Amino acid sequence: MKKEGVIIQLKNVERHYHIGENIVRAVDRINITVNRGDFVAVMGPSGSGKSTAMYLIGSLDIPTHGHIFLDGYDISVLGESDLAQIRGRNIGFIFQQFNLIPTLTVKENITLPMSLQGISKEVMEERAKKILEKLELTDRAEHYPNQISGGQQQRVAIARALANDPEVILADEPTGNLDSKTGERVMDVLKKLNKEGKTIVMVTHDHDLAYQYADIVYWLKDGKIEKVSKRK
Amino acid sequence: MIKKESVMYSLRNLKNRKTRSFLTLFSIMMGIMMIFVFVSFGLGLYNYIENISTSSSANKIFIQPKGIGGIGLDTTFSFSEDDLKAVQRTSGVYDASGIYFKTVEVKQDKKLSYTYLIAYDPVKPLLIELFNLGIFKGRELKPGDRGVVLGYNYLVSDKIFPKPYSVNQNIEINGQKFKIVGFYESIGNPTDDSQIYISNDMMKEIFGENISYNWIVADADISKIDKVVDDITKNLRRERGIEEGKEDFFAQTYEDMIASYSSILQIVVGFIILIALISIFVSAVNTANTMGTSVLERTKEIGIIKSVGGTNAEIFGIFLFESAFLGFVGGVIGVLFGFGLTSIGARILEIVGYNFLSPYYSFWLFFGCVAFAVVTGAISGVAPAIKATKVRPINALRYE
Repeated sequence: MKKEGVIIQLKNVERHYHIGENIVRAVDRINITVNRGDFVAVMGPSGSGKSTAMYLIGSLDIPTHGHIFLDGYDISVLGESDLAQIRGRNIGFIFQQFNLIPTLTVKENITLPMSLQGISKEVMEERAKKILEKLELTDRAEHYPNQISGGQQQRVAIARALANDPEVILADEPTGNLDSKTGERVMDVLKKLNKEGKTIVMVTHDHDLAYQYADIVYWLKDGKIEKVSKRK
Repeated sequence: MIKKESVMYSLRNLKNRKTRSFLTLFSIMMGIMMIFVFVSFGLGLYNYIENISTSSSANKIFIQPKGIGGIGLDTTFSFSEDDLKAVQRTSGVYDASGIYFKTVEVKQDKKLSYTYLIAYDPVKPLLIELFNLGIFKGRELKPGDRGVVLGYNYLVSDKIFPKPYSVNQNIEINGQKFKIVGFYESIGNPTDDSQIYISNDMMKEIFGENISYNWIVADADISKIDKVVDDITKNLRRERGIEEGKEDFFAQTYEDMIASYSSILQIVVGFIILIALISIFVSAVNTANTMGTSVLERTKEIGIIKSVGGTNAEIFGIFLFESAFLGFVGGVIGVLFGFGLTSIGARILEIVGYNFLSPYYSFWLFFGCVAFAVVTGAISGVAPAIKATKVRPINALRYE
């Protein structure tokens, strides 16, 4: 059930870093448009700027020039507090390193984004229960991240990304730290979420993965978009 | 407001870094404990001084020699009967009475003890009024009394002598036997509680007619008491043929005397509390250091929290909560240890007879110490917490 319309738009976005006296153009005037319900892959070799692009979309970084629109809002001009709200409500992140909080249990990691949105305990409990079931993590709810496997940790990260039911899920090399079989399972989950209507932007350097799952693949090289491939 | 998950997160972090948390708590605890001990004993002393300075002592003037020896030891100076009359003559003085002090030997079986024998005029017991001394057992001295009234410690076995005394028993002083007519209530220190009181007439009988007064206590018109003090000084100077500024005695109101003790006490207590505050400052630096290290260690986690919607205010709250919580726990433990220590200290002081040195506890002391620890902890956490909010998620998430 795909919804219509543009959800993410990058207009002439640039991100420069100063390293010593040199300016590194990690992202150099890129334009990307993502429609609601798309599964987009951003591909490229190391240092191509693909992760930077994802962090910019996720409002974890601010562009040096250009504008980024998320659901119609220009997030490149918002303050830190508003950006935090957007990250909490509209975006779910999945990282290569899982990035779970080691001192919180699986369930607490999942309820953390809800708690930050001020959601009531009852609702949090109910939502967490459903998400845990969906990702087959119910029996791991009270475990700590270091007590579960890498694949399970990545599923917890997906569960956390789903906590506030965001429209957009940003995944940075989600299978990068997993073996192929586990990685496939994680990708199947993402595909399923996409079919349920979530917009997914995935950064990967895995060509096969990109073409197997994504509708559109943006190829980045030296911070610029080199090619855009669309699934027929 | 800080969220429950954030609180759990903070508490587990403190738990996971046990050694560091413990050392930080220990330094806070030591500082608060010291403050608690000094303030409670300081307040106890203030209370003691306040209690001995009652309404019955407000109109009393105390005249004593300028000497360096203890009571009765300074034989270079004493007041004559004429000096006493000079004081009595002074306008505004209602009455005045001379007090004798002598060191005496008291004997029970074969055990000897040395103490002060204090003599006053039972018709004008100004000294007793001044110290607000009440009778614990028996009765006060009467005019013409041949008996003695003893300090409280004579009632307690093994305090001065193995066997306690009782009313109507005899006590041997300087080889003479005296009948005990009463006991004063406890003053709170071993010296005062082992004194023996006798009438002026009896004192003269033991030591001869020529003995002279060691103190003079006057009862004066309270409305112009400062002028009365000046006049007494003037009259005594004239009587003794001394130039102004070269007085070998000094007269002051009892209230002034207590006030001067109070101000000395204030300086001493203030100085000790200052030392305790320095230790609190050290513990605050320690807490700031702990929190600073914690921020560095958790840079990535800060990034994660920000990526899932944590605002800067939330991050700030997490770290501030942690440092304030350290302060709270350190404060509570410090207060409990302080209470334990002062209770034991007070018990020991009581056993050795210094029960006037007893700590004073109030709700505000407990609450104040804990609140102070919380506030200090929170203040120490402000800079690290601000530092945590400055963490940029993109850098944090790439941080290994």
